[in-house]
Amino acid sequence: MAEFNVNLRGVGAVSVIDVKGYLDAHTAPELENVFNRLLDQKQYQVVVNFDDLKYISSAGLGVFMAYVETMRENEGDIKFSNMKENVYNIFDLLGFPILYEFFKEENEAIKKFCDSSKF
Amino acid sequence: MQQSDNNAALRNFSALVDFSNLINSSLDINFTLNNILLTCFGKFHTTKGLIALLNNDRIFEVHASKGFNSLTLQTFPKLCADDYDSDEKLADFISANKMQVYQEIKSSEGLKGLIILGARLTNKVYDDSDINFLRTIVNVGATAIENCLAVDKLKRVNRDLDSKVNQLSSLFDLGKEFSGVLQIEQISKLLVYSLIGQMLVSKYAVVSCSGGVISFLENRFDEEHLQKALKSCNKDFFDKVFTRAEFTDELKPFAEVGVDLIVPMKIKNETKGLILLGKRKNELVYSQSDIEFVSSVGSLAIISIDNARLFKETLEKQRLEKDLETARNIQTNLLPKSIPAFSNFEMAAFNKSARMVGGDYYDIIKLDENNVLFAIADVSGKGVPAALLMANIQAFLKSICKMKMHLADATNLLNDLVAENTTNGSFITFFWGIINNEKKELTFVNAGHNPPLLVRNSQIIKLKKGGMILGVMQTIVPYLSDIIQLESGDTIVLFTDGITEAMNVKWEEYSDERLEAFVVDKTNLDSKRLLEEIKQSVEQFTVGAEQSDDITCMVIKVK
Repeated sequence: MAEFNVNLRGVGAVSVIDVKGYLDAHTAPELENVFNRLLDQKQYQVVVNFDDLKYISSAGLGVFMAYVETMRENEGDIKFSNMKENVYNIFDLLGFPILYEFFKEENEAIKKFCDSSKF
Repeated sequence: MQQSDNNAALRNFSALVDFSNLINSSLDINFTLNNILLTCFGKFHTTKGLIALLNNDRIFEVHASKGFNSLTLQTFPKLCADDYDSDEKLADFISANKMQVYQEIKSSEGLKGLIILGARLTNKVYDDSDINFLRTIVNVGATAIENCLAVDKLKRVNRDLDSKVNQLSSLFDLGKEFSGVLQIEQISKLLVYSLIGQMLVSKYAVVSCSGGVISFLENRFDEEHLQKALKSCNKDFFDKVFTRAEFTDELKPFAEVGVDLIVPMKIKNETKGLILLGKRKNELVYSQSDIEFVSSVGSLAIISIDNARLFKETLEKQRLEKDLETARNIQTNLLPKSIPAFSNFEMAAFNKSARMVGGDYYDIIKLDENNVLFAIADVSGKGVPAALLMANIQAFLKSICKMKMHLADATNLLNDLVAENTTNGSFITFFWGIINNEKKELTFVNAGHNPPLLVRNSQIIKLKKGGMILGVMQTIVPYLSDIIQLESGDTIVLFTDGITEAMNVKWEEYSDERLEAFVVDKTNLDSKRLLEEIKQSVEQFTVGAEQSDDITCMVIKVK
């Protein structure tokens, strides 16, 4: 069975989710649990770090669609960082770049949150 | 003069070579068009120009322009490839914008587009040699444009292909997942994640309409309104896909909730569920290939959902069967576990339910050293309801035994108690008796039960005396009892109608006559053997047929 790991850590007011391995229909519920935890804790500023993610299926992408509206309604967002090219291609293919912000590095995404909350 | 002409020709030639090298170095359509325009501007000293290319419908669309503001560009007329040069709108546009020349861009495949150039700063008109030069530039450019367009097309096809491959791998992924999951909630969750990931939607619903019951497996629309919309349509109406453009008046309520796409999930042509999707976040409409994807995922999902439902039903059935198994054990324990022994007679009994539990009952209770009570009963109906009533009468009987009442009075009381507990016309046929070992005396009451057979010297005495069946009404006419002095060699056979009405494969009954003849013939056997032979006789008679009723039999032999 494909391995998937998800880890949650806080960087200031921003929550960073590290995803690792294979995110598909089977492992999507694990990621969903993390998002539910964030909603419980009213943490709406989220960066997902894809550095160790090897594969994502459309069910995996679906999780981000399922939560982004709630985050945005609460003045937060889901931003993506450190994506490998093969993973990005799938996001690109399904038209995610017009709906989400992608960053090369995690700290750029975090900085974007910090900059916008100053105003 | 000749010299300067030569120089001009040389300049033109080297400009052309440069131009050709430049535009063939790139496959970017904008870069290519831009350079064609710039080259013309440099050569003819003009400040205005545009290139329009034919689209798939063979209509010209402006792809590159210089010196125009965007408002003016919007006035570019809708020209068709076939008759553009006779179209007045082109002449109007040219004169309104003070354009001077236009030239067709043609490749080996035919007309590709138009280049239109404005007045020259030098106010010189375009002479023949200028037009010739323009034609040459455009000819060189046409090939480059064609290459660029071909590459663009290839990129698009490639992307479409990628997206198809992605959809296929999603389907494959889901097919694997669905087959391993047996919980409906989880299946619909997986289904939804795939759909919203692939289609970029945030409003969606998965509706199950199996067995005429509409239920939401997932829903992100307004539940109340969607419920209403669904109720207004018969499920057979949803036998095909509906996109927003195809919504009829009946489907208006769905549009009001925000549904853009309705896809039925079918099993064997019957709609078992619906996938409802809202507007796509990327503002695209659902393409044929998107709809195919949604349909395919839906088909996979509904089969799994149906399987999960069947699995749940099977589990439930297994649980019920287990309960019945327990009930059967309890019921078996209600029957006597051992049969007491007496000096002047011996007894044997047998019971077999047609189903897991049954409504037949027999009991043998030693009242004291000298007296034994035996009873046989048949509750109307079969299965669980009959079994419950059987347990009820067993409890009453056990209690009444301890009261040392006369058998007829005890029957009156038993009937009153049972009548309080029966509803819907259920009743019990019942026979009981007490044998005194010392006196060899039988006292009995028959409450509507098939009369037991007392076989004496090959003659049959039927034990009929008593009263009506138990449970129909409170006792008004008291039950009567009878006393019979038993003799050595007497055989008493008690049975339920499961024996006499046992059917063979030809739908014939075993019958009272057959039973009577059989026991008269076998009175020399002891009680156990006779019971065994009766059992075998019935089994042989009914071989190949299903046991339809509970069977109980008891044999008492006087020594």
